[in-house]
Amino acid sequence: MTAKTKKHHYKRKDNIAGYLFLSPWIFGFMLMWLVPAAISIYYSFTDFNLLNVPSIIGLSNYKRIFTQDDTFLQALKVTFTYVLFLVPLRLAFALFVAMLLNQEHKGLGLYRTLYYVPSIIGGSIAVSIVWKQLFGNKGVVMSLLELFGIQQKMSLLGNPKTALLVIVIMGVWQFGSSMLIFLSALKQIPYSLYESAMVDGGKPWQIFTKITLPMLTPTIFFNLILQIINGFRVFTESYVITDGGPLDSTLSYVLYLYRRAFTYFDMGYSCALAWVLVAIIAVFTVILFKTQNNWVHYES
Amino acid sequence: MKKKTLALLLSMGMAVSSLAGCGGGGGSSTDTTAAGGGADATTAAQAGGGESTTAAAAGGESAAAAGEKITLKFTWWGSQSRHDYTQKILDAYTAEHPEITFEAVPAGWDGYFDKLSTEAASGSMPDIVQMDYLYISTYAKNNSLADLQGYMDDGTIDVSGIDEALLNSAKVNGKMAGLVLSTSLMTFPYNPEVLAKASLEAPKEGWTWEDFTAMCQQLKDAGVADAAVIDPAIDTNLFNYWVRQHGDKLFSDDQKSIGYQDDKLMADFIQMFKEAMDKDLVPTPDEMAQIQTLGLEAGPVVTGDGAFTQNWNNYSTLVSAANDKIKMATPPTIGAEDQKGLWMKPGMFLSIAETSPHKKEAAEFINWFLNSETANDIMMAERGTPSSSIARDYLTGSGKMASQQEDMFAYVDLAAKMAGETPAPDPTGMSEVNKAFADACNAAFYEQMSPEEAAASFRKKADEILSRNNG
Amino acid sequence: MKRKKQIQAITFHTGACALGFLMIYPLLWLLASSFKSNDTMFQDAYSLIPKVWDAVTNYRSGLEGVGGVSFGTFFVNTVVVTVVGTAGCVMISLLAAYAFTRIKFWGSDFLFGCVMMTMMIPPQVMVVPQYIILKKLGLIDTRIALILPWFFGGAFFIFLMVQFFRGIPKELDEAAMIDGCGKAGILFRVLVPVVKPALVTASIFAFYWIWQDFFQPLIFMSTTKKFTISLALNMYLDPNSYNNYGGLFAMSVISLLPVIIFFIIFQKYLVNGIAMDGIKG
Repeated sequence: MTAKTKKHHYKRKDNIAGYLFLSPWIFGFMLMWLVPAAISIYYSFTDFNLLNVPSIIGLSNYKRIFTQDDTFLQALKVTFTYVLFLVPLRLAFALFVAMLLNQEHKGLGLYRTLYYVPSIIGGSIAVSIVWKQLFGNKGVVMSLLELFGIQQKMSLLGNPKTALLVIVIMGVWQFGSSMLIFLSALKQIPYSLYESAMVDGGKPWQIFTKITLPMLTPTIFFNLILQIINGFRVFTESYVITDGGPLDSTLSYVLYLYRRAFTYFDMGYSCALAWVLVAIIAVFTVILFKTQNNWVHYES
Repeated sequence: MKKKTLALLLSMGMAVSSLAGCGGGGGSSTDTTAAGGGADATTAAQAGGGESTTAAAAGGESAAAAGEKITLKFTWWGSQSRHDYTQKILDAYTAEHPEITFEAVPAGWDGYFDKLSTEAASGSMPDIVQMDYLYISTYAKNNSLADLQGYMDDGTIDVSGIDEALLNSAKVNGKMAGLVLSTSLMTFPYNPEVLAKASLEAPKEGWTWEDFTAMCQQLKDAGVADAAVIDPAIDTNLFNYWVRQHGDKLFSDDQKSIGYQDDKLMADFIQMFKEAMDKDLVPTPDEMAQIQTLGLEAGPVVTGDGAFTQNWNNYSTLVSAANDKIKMATPPTIGAEDQKGLWMKPGMFLSIAETSPHKKEAAEFINWFLNSETANDIMMAERGTPSSSIARDYLTGSGKMASQQEDMFAYVDLAAKMAGETPAPDPTGMSEVNKAFADACNAAFYEQMSPEEAAASFRKKADEILSRNNG
Repeated sequence: MKRKKQIQAITFHTGACALGFLMIYPLLWLLASSFKSNDTMFQDAYSLIPKVWDAVTNYRSGLEGVGGVSFGTFFVNTVVVTVVGTAGCVMISLLAAYAFTRIKFWGSDFLFGCVMMTMMIPPQVMVVPQYIILKKLGLIDTRIALILPWFFGGAFFIFLMVQFFRGIPKELDEAAMIDGCGKAGILFRVLVPVVKPALVTASIFAFYWIWQDFFQPLIFMSTTKKFTISLALNMYLDPNSYNNYGGLFAMSVISLLPVIIFFIIFQKYLVNGIAMDGIKG
């Protein structure tokens, strides 16, 4: 099914049915999203510190973002780098592991659980302490590197050049949710397809590229969109592990706008930052949606 | 058929826009609250007050006289033990004053101020708020906090035991925005056992930065891993001490710019610590980050891996469960020209929300919380050295204090000799200034800037932040 | 042949176990730390074997709760919120996803764009407007405020199910329609069994997201008695004072158990995805 359906041919019954099925969601959407979004757009045009009376200042906040804010550029750079590395790595890893777990072996349930655990404990205090212990000064990873003769003056987490790498590794480590989605998609591929391919004498690699991969494209597309959106909105990792440091080298965009809003009492400006981010993400998402006709394989 | 669809969609659209209108009202309600206009806004503000005080809201100020029940909403941050004992204090107050009950809102430090500002934005701050020095001026300047001066003048709140300069640290734009509950003084805690390893005596009163560096070097030579566990960039407090002991001011009187003239002052400060880091006497930012994950009670000075640190005078009390031998020295001086850099730093405040309908009752409670024997017996100075000498004297005389707590009180007298004029409350935008300071220092420590460049960059950023926030 | 299979199996399990250990190390660390005494907790912190055992104190103080409210209360609150929230979220997202993929109606593209948009907005700037709305509705500090953001479905879940629905041939619907099924009948009798893995996946996600939901509840809730576990955990820490890490970690362990158990139970249903053999492949 392509997104473009023939216009002007909506059946009345379908219109009613469509909105009927959607009505609970629409209700929630208006209450928790549409109205708050409208308010936050309004804030973005005001001087609002949370405690004062918002006064409309036109486009000043947006002007300040693009002309006077070096930290904005730094946060943007950090976030783009993060997305660029995290998304391919995490998806490739998640798909690889999902394929492994889609075989016939004993104890698969156990492995599934083990691999999924990091996604559950996510950004908790325990995780942040462990990661700092592992990658920080005198941590296990540094000792291992030393063992291999790689002497570092600074730890990976303390070095502005490598700290973001640790945050990316942490993101890849939490591949569990993407893996789970791949796994459930793999389960949905009819076994008959594999059977007929095997009868035809297909090699494993051919089966993967000719059957599995095309059948998975809707899921890959889903994961890709989702990971890009979430990647741009990364917050917890840089908040709990490095708090943006050292020297803002892990300052994610959302961490920056969060600080603007609540630490620096700059809510109006923070809302403007947020809508600039939404615009950036929207551009990427729309581009991806436009390309899906070329590579995503849907039924019917 | 088409028409009906259109009608359906139109009505849906109307539903959307009417809700959006409500939202717009929500947005503009804050718009008009201060002005007092707009039905929307005033109802929001009233609803805020009403909800926070449930049953008695309708009664207002006269409720107490009529013997009606009043519920005061009280929020604070802290750790588990503070939540538990504060609840006991509140119960004790209700036992003495049956007409007052409390709605306690304990919270962790994380998110405490996020939540408070959101509540303030919708006019529903709790009646009594535990407030931090970092934020009090922001709240006060935006008229979120009630002026307590009247209650102090008429004796509702007894402030006779509080040092006047300390008391006035809550005075913003001529309004008393809070009652200072506790005070803290900067100190250099040390581990005597570690000093003994290098055959060193405890630092003497009036010791200098040269003495400090020399001692650190001796400790290093004696094999102590972390001679001085100090992060000079964590906030501006140590630097503020440095500026003050050189006879200068961190902020100008109008708080719109940096107060000292010569950037060499900051460059020297950075240089001193940079050298100490290069000689491995003070942890680098990288090492410091690791040490901080250990938490207060497992820090190097507590475990015996380090000798000195920089902290506040409740430090030895906080870590006493892990090590009860930690002592506290006054920070190093610059010698004969030293200009008394220490100051009584307000620890935390209790403020009353401007929207509270029960300001008088809240003020009575605050007075009791600060001065009463019952409250102090339970609190046992857990919120820091009590600001009021009434409470301090009572606790000293009670004989219930641990030796660390006695040290904490004794330090107030010890440091008094080195304390100068209390500075004006921190300017609005202080947390952003702290961040700019940390960035500048760390850039120098990471050798991305020279100390001089770092000092200049801090001035530029701080001036911009201060003029934007205090204009 | 059999030998080759054995070697394969051994390689697989060795690799899988090694990876598993890396993945689960923080959880083991959390567990070990919950047994350590509070004062020695961070001395050689990455050791998994406690130097000084103090499990009883930790778990007792964890279960005692905080501010006079027991852990049991937090637990019950969390279960109620999570179960209601998950049920609403999955159900309503399912309805929406069905509408987006199987019904051609006016404005569907635009509304789907809205779905995607909600994923892009950073929640940090939505919390103040949301607070104002909930306050106007008198819902601040109620359980409804905890459930509401989830109950009416979410973009992630709708999008997930949309992608799965699109992988199902339309002939299925048509066949059912000929058999006299209405739209709801098609959805629940024909499609739901087919997309069961997706529903399970969605439920797992919804369950643990709601379980550990933090930032918005933190802002919306005040009364300790109504707190969920994640809110209660936050009350343990103040960087400027002595912290009961032992109690905190003990409570974290207990709070993670239900999520892991939920996962273990439901991941079974992922194993046997519906094989659509017999239907057109």
